[in-house]
Amino acid sequence: MIACTKKEREWFLQNIAQGLVDYLGVMEPPVPIEDLLKNPPALFDADFGVVEMNSELWDATFARLPDQSGKVFVHTNLGPEARRYALARETLSALITSKHGQNMGLFELVESHLRESAEFFARILLAPPRLLRRFCSGDGAVKRIVTEFKLPMHAASKLWEEMSTA
Amino acid sequence: MSMQSLNQLVARSIIDPGVVQAFTSGNMSEILNGMDLTPKLRADLGCLEASSFVEFAIKAYRIVKAAEIKPLQIDLPSPITGLISDQDRAEGEQAA
Repeated sequence: MIACTKKEREWFLQNIAQGLVDYLGVMEPPVPIEDLLKNPPALFDADFGVVEMNSELWDATFARLPDQSGKVFVHTNLGPEARRYALARETLSALITSKHGQNMGLFELVESHLRESAEFFARILLAPPRLLRRFCSGDGAVKRIVTEFKLPMHAASKLWEEMSTA
Repeated sequence: MSMQSLNQLVARSIIDPGVVQAFTSGNMSEILNGMDLTPKLRADLGCLEASSFVEFAIKAYRIVKAAEIKPLQIDLPSPITGLISDQDRAEGEQAA
């Protein structure tokens, strides 16, 4: 895999996030991330799934079971925005470890920047730029990202900062 | 339009195994023929060498991005008139 810049990596991640949003047929926020994980594209039948857990170690984490099926283990007590964000973030791990993701070369793209890439992917999956431009602009945009797209405040602020400087 | 087509291809690749299969079997030209690309871009992308579809896409992004940057245009003065404007030349002639 050739070396690539952060901008190139994010360009690719943004487009695959858009591909998943297109699959869901989302026309307005919020993006139903839980539906995506529970009713994934056929390619990811064995890779997406949600399991409730009561660990204090993580908000959510992706893991593969002995039969190689993948699940996002998510803490039961998270607030709705934090839960959506954690599920979206862990979706990238499901993608890169899937057979299809490996065939694409996805793992090599993000392996050195996994956490940063997963956080970016979560923001852009939950608030795709196409929808963001239609529903949020100008003053109070960050607040509207939180209320319309159901993102945690920290993620909404970061996303708006990225969109403003892009 | 070319970048939009490339964006759509990458978006499609995550849910359509046909895209990655076309890449791994060396049939990207079939996919590229269905995209809104200039003939030159189609030819340039058609001969890209990459070890994975992601690498192909990143290299394609660089090529399409470079093609979208318009060449810098500089309005140079005509060699007949030179660098001095007509008014300056007329004033110079009057002073002489």
